[in-house]
Amino acid sequence: MLEIDGIAAAYGNIEALRGVDLLVEEGGITCLLGPNGAGKTTLMMTIAGILKPRRGTISFLDRNITGMTPSGVVRRGIALVPENRLVFPDMNVHENLVAGAYLRLGKRKSQVQQDIDHVFERFPRLQERSKQMAGTLSGGEQQMLAVARALMARPKLLMMDEPSLGLAPLVVEEIFRIISDLNADGTTIFLVEQNAHMALQVADHFFLLEQGQVTFSGKPGQLSEHEVIQRAYLGKGPQRNQPAADQGRPDRTTLPSG
Amino acid sequence: MDDIYLITILSNIGMISFIALSAYLLLVVGEISFGQQAFFAVSAYGSGIATAMWGWPIWLGLLWGALVAGAAALVVAIPTVRLRGLYFSVATLAFAEMVRLIFEIFTYQVEIDGELVGPDGSDGFRDIRAIYDSNVSAFEYMLIIYGLLAVVLIGFLILERSRLGAIFRMIGEDPMLTEMQGLNVTKYKILAVVMAGIVAGIGGALYAHLATYVEPKIFNVMLGVHALAYGLIGGLGTAFGPLIGVAIDIGLLESIRAISGYRMIVFGGLVAVLLIVRPRGLLDEAAMHWLRGRWRGLIRAEN
Repeated sequence: MLEIDGIAAAYGNIEALRGVDLLVEEGGITCLLGPNGAGKTTLMMTIAGILKPRRGTISFLDRNITGMTPSGVVRRGIALVPENRLVFPDMNVHENLVAGAYLRLGKRKSQVQQDIDHVFERFPRLQERSKQMAGTLSGGEQQMLAVARALMARPKLLMMDEPSLGLAPLVVEEIFRIISDLNADGTTIFLVEQNAHMALQVADHFFLLEQGQVTFSGKPGQLSEHEVIQRAYLGKGPQRNQPAADQGRPDRTTLPSG
Repeated sequence: MDDIYLITILSNIGMISFIALSAYLLLVVGEISFGQQAFFAVSAYGSGIATAMWGWPIWLGLLWGALVAGAAALVVAIPTVRLRGLYFSVATLAFAEMVRLIFEIFTYQVEIDGELVGPDGSDGFRDIRAIYDSNVSAFEYMLIIYGLLAVVLIGFLILERSRLGAIFRMIGEDPMLTEMQGLNVTKYKILAVVMAGIVAGIGGALYAHLATYVEPKIFNVMLGVHALAYGLIGGLGTAFGPLIGVAIDIGLLESIRAISGYRMIVFGGLVAVLLIVRPRGLLDEAAMHWLRGRWRGLIRAEN
């Protein structure tokens, strides 16, 4: 569905992505794991059209979307739930939801209302808070609202950047339950996570991104969770597509044991 | 009504309200412009030239002034709306100073009834006499000002309930997140700058005809700074906010003679205090949200 081929992106002289190849299959949950600074958010921003890649191509449903404007990417059917900046804080919940549907509000007002009703069925808590300012919601509710708003655009592919960031464990579980539900209802999901434990439970396929390169691609069972966590959190440095846990090679970075 | 002092003050409040609304519209989309006086000036000169030199009727002169201001705003908008924050502010300030300096050297005069009429550089532009020639009294002209202000204000209130108004507020809150909703932020910002230019232009055209005389130094940066401050004092939650700001400054500080000498001290202090305690003004978004809630509650209680 989404094909990323040799994408490189940089901030000035610092290369954040150094030739990333990645494939998101239609209908599944694909997960991108990696340590801080690996380039996960940069990749999301590049797909969404906010950053322009230096090299490489991005195609979606067999059409090239490289270098397209963010609004163009949304029109093609990709919605991004960004990290941190989730909602319009000075607008109420209902207004935030409508904001996600502005592209088709002129022509299909009744359809938008239907979608809002639908979203409220899925997120009853948002309906209770419909007239409340989004900035006064709890972190979990804001995350829900951000997901709900992204759904208002009727995306074919929903991209989420660290949906569990800063949330309490119970709320994280709720968010991941929502992700699974959405996927069961037919939305393809591409997820960036640091919470490897939760991500590996829902993912159909996952990639490891380390220092701007994909170093592993496979199914959750193929790499032990221990190994994934070690790489995703500690960033043991690029090790090219090695499904086996231990290759007997000395680590580039040695951490004090204890 | 023949209290000319009162009429003058009310007319001033009305005219300045246009430039305050103009700066307010840009504050809503998250841009701080120090240059709205440029569009006020362009329209003052443009409409004055149209009526005093080309002999156009006054209503056509006003329309022309507003259109010229809108066109000038488009010229400014295209290269500047991609600039962020401070850079946009500096660009608008530079543009406004450029306009003022151009008017310092701009000379374009024709002979009418044996007298030279038209802008004469730093000596200004005299005898914009259209309203006196057509026997419009000061009171009638005040009604014209407030009639136009009412039209513009109703336009703002409709805008705030519309899809476009909501998009403007979204851009003001978070342009990148707005872009992610599939909306072309640059296009909407250009539209906002042009609309703001037209609104400032209406005020400028009205001003030129009431004063009958304009000169470049009137349109210095303090006019633009005041225009900005009105929205910041009155509040950014509704178009009534900047009008409250104008009423406080001109209605209270400038008009009460006992304190008028201290006007800038009090005004500056007021802006500083409000920026600390209510950074988005008296009628900010939260206040408007609360007021609308109360209003709905009242209506429900009535029924």
